[in-house]
Amino acid sequence: MTAAVRMKSITKIYPETQKRANDQVDFTLLPAEILSLAGENGAGKSTLMKILYGLISCDSGEILVHGQPFAHPSPIEAGKRGIGMVHQHFMLVEEFTVTENVVLGEESTAPTGLLDRRQNRQRVAALIEKHHFSLSPDDRVMSLSVGQKQQVEILKMLMRDVNILILDEPTSVLTQLEIDSLFTTLRKLQSHGVSIILITHKLHEIKNISDRVAVMREGRMVGVYETAEVSEEDIARAMMGDEGLSVVRKERRQLNLDPVLSVAHLSLIRHNQDHPLLDDISFTVHPGEILGCAAISGNGLGQLESVLLGNLPVSSGEILYHDEVLTSVHHTATTRKRGIPFVPSDRLFTGCSLSAKVSDNVIATSRKRFFPPFNVSRKEIESYTSHLIETYGISATPSAPIGTLSGGGIQKVILAREIERIRDLIICCEPTWGLDVNSTAFIHRQIVQLRNDGVGVLLISSNIDEILALADRLLVFSRGSVSARFSASQMASLTKEELSPFLLGKKRMEVEGA
Amino acid sequence: MRKIERFSVLEYFVRSLFGILAIVLLSVIMLIAAIFLLSDQPLTSIASFFAGPFSSLYAIGNMIDHAVPLAIGAVGIALAMRSGNMNIGGEGQVYAGALVTTIVALALPGWGLTGILVALAASMLVSGSVATLSGWLRERWNVSDLITTFLLSNIIILVVDYMVAYPFVDPQTNLISTRFVDPSYHLLIILPPSQLNIALCIALVCVLVAHLFLYRSRTGFELRMVGDNEEFARYAGVDHRLYRILPMTLSGALYGLGGALAILGTYHATIKGFSAGMGWNALLVALIARFKPAAIIPAALFFAYIDAGARSAMFYSDVTYEIAYIVQAVIFFLISSSILQRIALGRRRV
Ligand SMILES: Nc1ncnc2c1ncn2[C@@H]1O[C@H](COP(=O)(O)OP(=O)(O)OP(=O)(O)O)[C@@H](O)[C@H]1O
Ligand SMILES: [Mg+2]
Repeated sequence: MTAAVRMKSITKIYPETQKRANDQVDFTLLPAEILSLAGENGAGKSTLMKILYGLISCDSGEILVHGQPFAHPSPIEAGKRGIGMVHQHFMLVEEFTVTENVVLGEESTAPTGLLDRRQNRQRVAALIEKHHFSLSPDDRVMSLSVGQKQQVEILKMLMRDVNILILDEPTSVLTQLEIDSLFTTLRKLQSHGVSIILITHKLHEIKNISDRVAVMREGRMVGVYETAEVSEEDIARAMMGDEGLSVVRKERRQLNLDPVLSVAHLSLIRHNQDHPLLDDISFTVHPGEILGCAAISGNGLGQLESVLLGNLPVSSGEILYHDEVLTSVHHTATTRKRGIPFVPSDRLFTGCSLSAKVSDNVIATSRKRFFPPFNVSRKEIESYTSHLIETYGISATPSAPIGTLSGGGIQKVILAREIERIRDLIICCEPTWGLDVNSTAFIHRQIVQLRNDGVGVLLISSNIDEILALADRLLVFSRGSVSARFSASQMASLTKEELSPFLLGKKRMEVEGA
Repeated sequence: MRKIERFSVLEYFVRSLFGILAIVLLSVIMLIAAIFLLSDQPLTSIASFFAGPFSSLYAIGNMIDHAVPLAIGAVGIALAMRSGNMNIGGEGQVYAGALVTTIVALALPGWGLTGILVALAASMLVSGSVATLSGWLRERWNVSDLITTFLLSNIIILVVDYMVAYPFVDPQTNLISTRFVDPSYHLLIILPPSQLNIALCIALVCVLVAHLFLYRSRTGFELRMVGDNEEFARYAGVDHRLYRILPMTLSGALYGLGGALAILGTYHATIKGFSAGMGWNALLVALIARFKPAAIIPAALFFAYIDAGARSAMFYSDVTYEIAYIVQAVIFFLISSSILQRIALGRRRV
């Protein structure tokens, strides 16, 4: 049986950073198997897959696709060989509709040579239907949630009849339901003979979906296992070398202080929507606690974040920082002008400037400190950046563009930057998106530490495990309103199963307060 | 770590320098090919093209003098482009700056240095306001600055043409021109017999200040942030609306200054259409310099050299001035394509 893909001794050194991202990597993908590619942030997983897809070239090594040498790789060539890739970071045209994005390059045309809009729309609608995606073919991509954008990326591949499908961290932004349906899709594709490579940081997903798991560490391939024969711990150990897994401990604290952040009767109504995007939301965040907000994507968390960021004006209600009004009907949030630390969920376009240096990204939210208002030497900036890079264990150099870091590296820079500026409040949206087990634990420890130091934390996350592990109190959102509130005492025994009817909007709690 | 870093910065530098040199080389090859095709005495033409601009102090001085308004305009463009704005109304803004200076000088004869300062300030104010208007229109109603700067510029050109031809025309000459400003307004010549004057120093100062402003000041940092990623800038609490207007004001004012200095230093009167092409050429210079202030001086000099070369070849042999356009077009093509490429890559990296 010839392998679907065989990569031999692949070495890649990025010239800008002299980083040996892949070091003599051997890799085999069997026909019709689902293979997980695991490894910590920066291990070189995305790099290896970009080489296979022809996006970047390797310095040495050989690639065979279905036994045929793949000598001059390029995405176009890869497409011809039936290789498709869904990238870690979306490559969508924001202004286009779902249909236009999905058919881009594969458009049906009418006999006149013009686009056949109806035909295109039907093809996409049928595909959405078949895979139970929560999308409408006419939505503009820019109006979609991150989870939905991911689905559009996957649709693009499904449209193209690929037989080797690469998915770079497809699940990190999806909710459990969406993940389940994705996995169903993947299994169906597998039964049609498609070979699939799946990059993920979630160990239970590896166990759940894959036939084999390949583990990378620091640019090398350190092992390939039959998934059935290894435990999650085995995989974690292979990923991290000798370092152990660290666990977050929560010690409960007593609170009776005034809130740092209060949200009162916040509503967001849009005329073209059948229900309010946010419906009479009220909550408070106190010093020394983590308030969690959980929901399935598309249920209001995105809007809540936008309102807090000041990107959306509210229809009623207000947001207060201590006694100061940040947002009301008359003006949008001044959260950022007040310099309240904020980790946005969209790390690539909101949280950083990809083409700018790491150091410029780091000081972007402390401009007054580093440019008061002039600064002739950059030394201070460089040394501060180096300090953060070291403290937070990020593999980067201050002067490299932040876009050259691995996905997890970028997220760590953003977190480091915001945490360093902390006073008494931080707002974190999806803080561990795409981070490996170790970095996630690290970030969780940081968040718990902040709370123990008396900082109020608003944690907005669609990752239920994260919410359950961290939150002292919890709000559950469904269709834009709060469907449940859990107090500190209730949180102790709360399970995923108890939570899910509230997430799905099947059950609502009629409690006031919190 | 350190060592790698230095190496890579150096490598970056070498690479981008190499890219520019390759473009320059390619355009020179195109130029020579064109001359061989078009000229009956190609060797004379080539010699006068390349050596002509250096044939005398007079020629050298005038060449540098031509680079001055281009460099000043280019600094303005760089500021606008680095903040994600567009100002392609240079033609009108330069011309307006020139006329305003002339009018001030004619109205306040004998004022000397004070008069010069008033004239420069007035030019910058007028041209700066025009560009500010475009910035404001974009800020307020999201009207494309690409279109408004261009259209406003066309209107201004017609208005200035009218002013020069009617209210301010000098009946004594056959040219359509204003009267000459009095000698107390002439800038100090620094390389006689050429026309090179202290406007050169002003251009150098502009470049230096723009460089420090962009890389060493908070406002400059914020300006670059908005240009790199406006979404991020907003998230970081930058008042992005300010940066839709301020850079436009600065770029307009610098265009105006370029036009004003051309009058006080070189032309001494607004002649109808004298500045035609200056605005576009400044844009080209900024493109060659990739919107980096420090690179603007060599870019402007190179541009002025091509221009002077073409004039000299036209003078001493049988080719026409259009030969310069060929080189400019080739450079423009190569540079803009690589810029587009970089923008595309920048969005896609990671
Ligand atoms: N374009 C680039 N230029 C320079 N260095 C790069 C570039 N892309 C990646 N690197 C570096 O190569 C290493 C491997 O990166 P890669 O993106 O392959 O990691 P990864 O395993 O996908 O990590 P993650 O799980 O965080 O996405 C990292 O140290 C990264 O900083
Ligand atoms: Mg990756």
